Amino acid sequence: VTGRSMLRLAFVIFVVLMVQQTVMVAVRIDGYHPDLLWLLPITAALLDGPETGAIVGFWSGLAFDLTLPTPFGLSALVGCLLGYGTGLTVRGLVRSSWWLPPIVAAGATAVGLSMYAILGAVLGDPGALRTDLVPALVVATPGAVILATPVVRMVGWALPAAPASRGAHVGTGGR
Amino acid sequence: LTVVVLVIISLSLISLDQNGRTHSLTSGIKSVANDIYAPLRQGIVDIINPIGHFFAGAFDYGSVQSQNEQLEKVIGQLRANQAERGFEQTQLRQLMALENLPFLQSLTTVPAQTVDQNLSNFTATITLNKGRADGVDVGYPVVGAGGLVGLVIQSFHHTCVVQLITDGQSKVGVTFGNQLTGIVDGQGPGNDMTLDLVPPHTPVHVGQIMYTSGLQAASFPPGIPVATVESFHNEAGASQESITVDPKANLDELAYVDVVQWEPPT
Repeated sequence: VTGRSMLRLAFVIFVVLMVQQTVMVAVRIDGYHPDLLWLLPITAALLDGPETGAIVGFWSGLAFDLTLPTPFGLSALVGCLLGYGTGLTVRGLVRSSWWLPPIVAAGATAVGLSMYAILGAVLGDPGALRTDLVPALVVATPGAVILATPVVRMVGWALPAAPASRGAHVGTGGR
Repeated sequence: LTVVVLVIISLSLISLDQNGRTHSLTSGIKSVANDIYAPLRQGIVDIINPIGHFFAGAFDYGSVQSQNEQLEKVIGQLRANQAERGFEQTQLRQLMALENLPFLQSLTTVPAQTVDQNLSNFTATITLNKGRADGVDVGYPVVGAGGLVGLVIQSFHHTCVVQLITDGQSKVGVTFGNQLTGIVDGQGPGNDMTLDLVPPHTPVHVGQIMYTSGLQAASFPPGIPVATVESFHNEAGASQESITVDPKANLDELAYVDVVQWEPPT
């Protein structure tokens, strides 16, 4: 990740944070809303492998942690693990397929939300496990499918050297 | 290696946040970030709200037109009745003030408006438009709409975050009946609260009101209505009675609340 990429990533994280906290929180279904946070590490991992996914997940999670009433560092931890895990999982897949980002985004978002509840309960927020995960997943997962493509475009712009963002077939995940 | 380092940093940050001695450091960082981010966020909300209303109106034009006609009729009726209503409104205001007196007693309050709710899918919180600069601090109780609403858990310069009593982390010590006590335990957004630590076969009835106990080290002053009993039953061999309770305050109508400037006695 170059210095220019870092600046662009910071901008993308800021834009996504603002969209989440202004538009997404207003899109409520039964009290739950789509969660853009997890799409950043997921798409970064899809485009540039597990390590970039982990780094983007950590920094985006930290930015979100600044605005959430949950333990500081929890979103960073989950984002980091989610980015790394997604990168490892999609290794070897042909990532130029148009349908891959929405499907991976849906699956990984479900994993991310579940991980957040479990790690939150273990690391100081026991109330996290009391949240009904099913309605949260029912809202967040289709949201991830719909929003994956624009977020892939944004992260692809921030990581211009990423092979997948140039439309190449990637088999290794790392650079 | 990068991932291991990032995980260790994350765990350290969580640990610092949970540690009482260093919590002020992390909350200070959050506070500074919020002071920068809140005006930006509000600016964006101010811009996109009219756009949202425009589209809502454009897609539902027929309904808007009929609503407009109905509203015009209502305005006409209201104008005609306005003079007569003045006296009644004064009486109503006085009654509402009296209704609030029993549980707020002489405690000072800061009226606040709700500007946001449930920023995370995992918390039951609201954000108010009052913060440290307005005399609102962490630990202050929040009341409104008929009873206890929650507790201020984060206070920034001009905003604060309130943990609702339905949040999974909320616990409120209550008293009811003949000097009986228990803990009203939030079960997360959308779930019924429970009344815990009540011995089996304790006499309760549906609709019975629970009040904050105000016992030593309590987070709330005594006498604030918290919840009403929704259902109860005793299971054979259970160590406590199973009681579900509803919030006394209408948590769906929290446009305006009062922050009570009260701290637990040291």
